[in-house]
Amino acid sequence: MAELRVLFKDIDIPGIDTLDVCEQNGGYSALKKALGMTRQQVIDEVKASGLRGRGGAGFPAWIKWNGIPKDESQPHYVLCNADEGEPGTFKDRELMMRHPHQLIEGMVIAGYATLAKVGYIYIRGEYTEPARVLRRAIDEAYRAGYLGKNILGSGVDFDLYLHMGAGSYECGEESAMMSSLMGERGQPRLKFPHAPLPTIAGLWDCPTLINNVETLSCVPSIIRNGGAWYASMGTEKSTGTKIFSVSGHVNKPGNYEVEMGTPLMELLELAGGVKGKLKAVIPGGSSVPILPAEKCDVNLDYESLQAAGTMLGSGGFMVLNDTVCIVRFMRRTAAFYAHESCGKCTPCREGTRWMLKIFDRILAGGGRQEDIDLLLEICDQIDGRSYCGLGDAAAWPIRASIKHYRHEYEYFIEHGYSVVESKEAVTV
Amino acid sequence: MAEQELVTIEINGIELQVPKGEMIIESAKRVGVDIPFFCYHPRLGKGQAANCRMCLVEAGTKQPDGSVRMMPKPQTSCSLPASQGLVVYTDTVAIQKARRGILEFLLINHPLDCPVCDRGGECPLQNNTLFYGPGVTRYVEDKRHLPKAFPISDYVVLDRERCIHCARCTRFSQEISGDAQLEFLKRGADMMVSTFQDTEFTSCFSGNTIELCPVGALTSRRYRFRARPWDMKSQKSVCTRCSNGCNIWLDYRPKRLVRVLGRENEAVNEEWTCDRGKFGHEYINSDRRLLSPLVRQGEKFVTASWAEAYQVIASRIQQAVRAHGADSVGAIGGAHLSNEEAYLLQKLMRVAIGTNNLDHRLERNQLAGGDTLLTRFGVPFTQTAIADIERAKTVFIIGSELVDEQPIVFLRARKAWYRFGAKVIIAYPEVTETELRFDEPVVLRYREGTEPVLVAGLLHLVLSSAEAGSRADAVWNSVSVYTPERVAEETGVSLDALREAASLLGEGTVFLCGGRVRNHAEYPTLVRTLCRLVEVTGNAGRANGGLNILLPEVNSHGAADMGVLPDMLPGYAPVGDVGARQHLERLWNVSLPAQPGLSSQAMLERAAQGQMQVLYIVAEDIAQKYHDPALAQRALENAGFVVVQDLFLTETAQYADVVLPAASVAEKEGTFTNTERRVQRFWEALDSPSPDVKPDLNIFAELAVYLGKPIPVFSAEQVMEEIGKAFPAYADCHYDQMPPEGIRWQALTRVAESREKATQLT
Repeated sequence: MAELRVLFKDIDIPGIDTLDVCEQNGGYSALKKALGMTRQQVIDEVKASGLRGRGGAGFPAWIKWNGIPKDESQPHYVLCNADEGEPGTFKDRELMMRHPHQLIEGMVIAGYATLAKVGYIYIRGEYTEPARVLRRAIDEAYRAGYLGKNILGSGVDFDLYLHMGAGSYECGEESAMMSSLMGERGQPRLKFPHAPLPTIAGLWDCPTLINNVETLSCVPSIIRNGGAWYASMGTEKSTGTKIFSVSGHVNKPGNYEVEMGTPLMELLELAGGVKGKLKAVIPGGSSVPILPAEKCDVNLDYESLQAAGTMLGSGGFMVLNDTVCIVRFMRRTAAFYAHESCGKCTPCREGTRWMLKIFDRILAGGGRQEDIDLLLEICDQIDGRSYCGLGDAAAWPIRASIKHYRHEYEYFIEHGYSVVESKEAVTV
Repeated sequence: MAEQELVTIEINGIELQVPKGEMIIESAKRVGVDIPFFCYHPRLGKGQAANCRMCLVEAGTKQPDGSVRMMPKPQTSCSLPASQGLVVYTDTVAIQKARRGILEFLLINHPLDCPVCDRGGECPLQNNTLFYGPGVTRYVEDKRHLPKAFPISDYVVLDRERCIHCARCTRFSQEISGDAQLEFLKRGADMMVSTFQDTEFTSCFSGNTIELCPVGALTSRRYRFRARPWDMKSQKSVCTRCSNGCNIWLDYRPKRLVRVLGRENEAVNEEWTCDRGKFGHEYINSDRRLLSPLVRQGEKFVTASWAEAYQVIASRIQQAVRAHGADSVGAIGGAHLSNEEAYLLQKLMRVAIGTNNLDHRLERNQLAGGDTLLTRFGVPFTQTAIADIERAKTVFIIGSELVDEQPIVFLRARKAWYRFGAKVIIAYPEVTETELRFDEPVVLRYREGTEPVLVAGLLHLVLSSAEAGSRADAVWNSVSVYTPERVAEETGVSLDALREAASLLGEGTVFLCGGRVRNHAEYPTLVRTLCRLVEVTGNAGRANGGLNILLPEVNSHGAADMGVLPDMLPGYAPVGDVGARQHLERLWNVSLPAQPGLSSQAMLERAAQGQMQVLYIVAEDIAQKYHDPALAQRALENAGFVVVQDLFLTETAQYADVVLPAASVAEKEGTFTNTERRVQRFWEALDSPSPDVKPDLNIFAELAVYLGKPIPVFSAEQVMEEIGKAFPAYADCHYDQMPPEGIRWQALTRVAESREKATQLT
């Protein structure tokens, strides 16, 4: 049992974050290769790879790439979503910190394929250290002619800008990210079919390709080794590898890159095994439904996890052992979404705060048994009713936790303390 | 415009055809399906906010096999564009549940202080809760608490607890008025509307946000706690605070105007009002209104009966006419009168007294009707309809602080830019608020007084870029000396700005010319040059182009139309024109003075020298508002006899020998003609504050009786019928047939034809 490293292949090479070392290890060779291909060939290679968006939704990357108009009547943009805010997720951070040129190379290739002359990396405001590394790497790439005008004499231009967010989870949502980047309030915009797709009218109403850091970082390897090579890894529908940010009750938390379709329990072993007795896993960041231990016999790919009632999400893999009180855990989750709701839509703005207040009352010993069904109804009233996924993401984990651990809620409400806590521990 | 593509959609099983891209919430109205909403507003923004989520519907698309593929989530109908085969259900169990959910969410933090809320009774949140909401709440936690009602300006009170975050007010201030003074602070449930750093909300359009607010979060300081909606009656009216002619509702209780609301008129104000219009009618309620005629006795005024007042006035006028001739009597005023009253005023002067000494203009440089626009374009002041400004490709604003001076014209100009991408050029000597409301307009910061040079320079540039053969030599010769270099030097405008502005002056340019340029002695030259520029750029006959001299007062246009001018009879017929005079002589059955009378400037100059026996000042406070107040005051002091007819004891009235109390606009009926020559009706709402307060119309008619030359008047409507005969442009303005948007009279070329017809008939 081992990792399968594609993105992390060179990550342990000392100095790989510098251009010299990166070039010695094949850095930017994919760009040179791509520039020798036609734009459509590049897109076709991505299509052949079966690469799907790693930001959480798993949308096939090539459809976005191919959806960008093929003429240059308007400026085109590439926007890299580096606003990694999903709780439990820290893979993009490591990708940017340790192998920034892989991302830059991926973005230039994406820019070439989609006729974009400008790219933006919208990086999470808290990521000051990755931003510093990226900025230095961008400067190096400019000096070496991998960015700027007439890249490597090919006549292709691509300028890359780093934009730091201001501390809002919502700005990781692509339309809110565009609003924020354009200087507006970080709130989502109308989506298809209410408005054109970003690939048609994104930043400044121009065609915009938006991909996650991990997705774009996959591109150089795909171009270098071919889409078929990439598609040979993983499952039929979920190709390639995926980085999971394993955290919580494991002995060796950290980022692990594994082949798509790897059994969940193997990933747990890779991470040094569970501390104590496994209670549940949240496989894709706090937004996805919780997976109880008895259902953890599942493979890590988009389809298998969906069949198990959860999602691959962003790969924020949180492991909970039996000391975790689900009610307290969900209260923390609810607090996060109440704090991060942008306030635009009624259900999310009001519903998330209401749920948090109910949780607080339950934790304070004032819970009522009907609160459990009320929470479920509030989840129903939020889910699918708001602009973006934040509302859904606030509802799913709570609904799933009640589905799987209703007895813990009932116990807490009845006793005023958790089933996993001794009465003494609480009263001290 | 190309025929709009129609698509077939289905709403609740009803099949209908609607324009492609129409929002479903609008399509539903076509088949009488009601979809509740809060944030939706058809006039706001380029797209809808769709954030209240109240208008959710279930939607799907018809597949080729006839089945319907439903979208997985409910969709907001306010932002869902109609497309071929779209199937919508607005009232399914799931949607009913969704609406109940949204309302429950909105109400958890909304204080239930409806009994003391101004919005109570006309509140969308109340109404929707009644129709679609849950009867009880399941919310047992603390409500959100924020500072309760506090003023954010002289007009607006903000109650953040009541806010439901629909973003209508913030969108209005960013997208429509463009001052961006309201924005949300914080996020999530803590989100709140605020001005920047809690500074004052100084927008000139702040009142609209009160009307837009679907709850009582933004309320009017002037209306707060003064009435409940069901206590009031409403009457249709027209705002009198500038020449734009916004349609308004007067909401009133017995003897008291309570508030003013915007009234929809797509052709004029859409539904907006400026703050002057919305809050500027309080004077009607003032307890300082004149309640009876006053006659001077020594230093003091004493109340008098109307009979006494008329007798004094009539005898003084008759005395003056006998001793010094009719031309020793003159009248100033008319821009605040209705068309009917203005018409009667000039008839009183011309028929009952026999003089052409009358004028409604108070500015230094007075562009009479006979000047260049009328002869060149057949219209006296404005070519472009207000509604057509939004279709302009370029808006050229010269000498106007448009935001303040012509607020509704400004909103259209801004819409042209914001919504339809027009270019904007602003020529003004100083930084204006107007130019801050557009992103990077071309600014021509000329030195005061050089505007004719500036426009000549632009004309030079436009002509020199035209093909050599196509320019008229006469025009070219007149501006050939105004080389860009010379113009830049003289006006202080940079060469680049001049060239950029000239390059934007193509077909589809609307020229808006404001009050500032009227102060300049070479104003007529400027207007002539602008006329040439309009012709040269091909805008003379275009709907979305042309020259517009924006007028100062509510009925400046109407007063000019009615011939409240020393040298023009009704319909801009020169006094010296025998045919026109004969037409009116036949109509009025009198003989008319053939010599032009004195302008207001000439009258006041003569009066100041003690050569005017009677000055009749109607609804103008010339002692303050005349461009040369000192002259006006000297004139009032030295005139033989001064009659002032107004609502208040104004500074002008202090000089009067007799003061006549007139009714306000809310206490009478009539018509106004706005700056785009649109004739609009207004109706009587209130009783006069005293039985001794009379509409100007009655005063003129009764005074004529005392002068021994009765002008029979039964109603404003009857006067309008006569106006239609005197000035055929108004021939279609029958009270009972007036369309809701009013009648914009046609250019005089058509009017001339109809005058010929009228002459033949009489």
